[in-house]
Amino acid sequence: MNTFTTFCTVAALITVSVISRASAAPADFDGVWIPDVKDQHRQETANVPPWKPEIVPQVAHMAAEEKAGRPFLVLSHCLPHGMPSWMLISHNAFEWLTTPGRVTLLGEVDGNRMRRIYTDGRSHPDDPDLTLHGDSIGHWDGDVLVVDTTAIMPQAYIAISEAIGIPNDGDMHIVERFHLAQPNVLHDDLEITAPKVLTASWKTTRIFRRYPDRHYEITEGECEQEDLVPGKDQYGNDIFFSHPQNPDGSVSTK
Amino acid sequence: MMTLRAIALIATGLVFGLGGIAAAHHSGAAYDREHLRTTEGTVKTVNWTNPHITFVIECDAKGGAPVQTMVFEVSSPGVLTRSGWTKRSLQPGDHAVFHYAPLRDGNPGGFLLKVDLPNGQVLSFTLQPSDQ
Repeated sequence: MNTFTTFCTVAALITVSVISRASAAPADFDGVWIPDVKDQHRQETANVPPWKPEIVPQVAHMAAEEKAGRPFLVLSHCLPHGMPSWMLISHNAFEWLTTPGRVTLLGEVDGNRMRRIYTDGRSHPDDPDLTLHGDSIGHWDGDVLVVDTTAIMPQAYIAISEAIGIPNDGDMHIVERFHLAQPNVLHDDLEITAPKVLTASWKTTRIFRRYPDRHYEITEGECEQEDLVPGKDQYGNDIFFSHPQNPDGSVSTK
Repeated sequence: MMTLRAIALIATGLVFGLGGIAAAHHSGAAYDREHLRTTEGTVKTVNWTNPHITFVIECDAKGGAPVQTMVFEVSSPGVLTRSGWTKRSLQPGDHAVFHYAPLRDGNPGGFLLKVDLPNGQVLSFTLQPSDQ
């Protein structure tokens, strides 16, 4: 009995120790982070992805269309940015939340801007459902959170701007190294491997800034709210009504 | 009779060819930032929505020109909130001076950059808080 009790105690301590090591967060990344949009624009030309030759004309066409004032819509239909575009081109803030065994990134615009990064030591699932943000697992390498993301939908863009993005077409793998370059400057070093559209892995960095004195919050929002109008139901309750759609896609309130 | 919102969305939709994708978050390439303009008018409609906010403005009739309805697009609720705006900063009936980058295709509207209110308050925004 004593031997069994001792065994259980040791096993429990080992388990707790493993989980603690896996989920410990040696650096404080919590808070609201705002992308450095000026640096995003610099990166558009300073470090372009190694597109496959057959992709290059598509990118050139998008660039020409944007220059002509007819930008391609990388972001449409209220879909989330997906990965890696959220980290690459978003103009909106995200909130970083560290909890035991998990990091959560909450984005703006609607509730679908969310990444769950598991730091509890688990592996990627064997047969995952593909999603726009993929399956992310992380571990701490000193003060660096290393995040490995797979299971991303083939439709998720590799975007270098809001007007230039190419679907990854499948089998994309992303490794990120999040670290603080300064106490309130977060760098996300991304290595994006997308064998269907890139000739080699693409390494790039995006910068996010934290402003603790300004007490910023991310704001609630629903992208679909664009298609709704406030009104009253038959009981006088405040509700949203859908706008009827005209054949040309515009909305009428009559 | 076509409502102002319908006018707004059709005008925005014209920019991108399809009204159905007018609500998309998009590049600012449709706007001419090299030739900024100013107009005075009254707010008719506020659409405080993601991914972009839009204001429908009825411009003042000046010099015999007909009253014109314009649609101004601006950044997102998150960006404007962090720049000091609230949903109530501009309300229907408010008269103001609007500074904007016009639509390249000549349609009445543009990307709103700054608003001068009669009480002297200036409403603007930045994506980059370091600039504030």
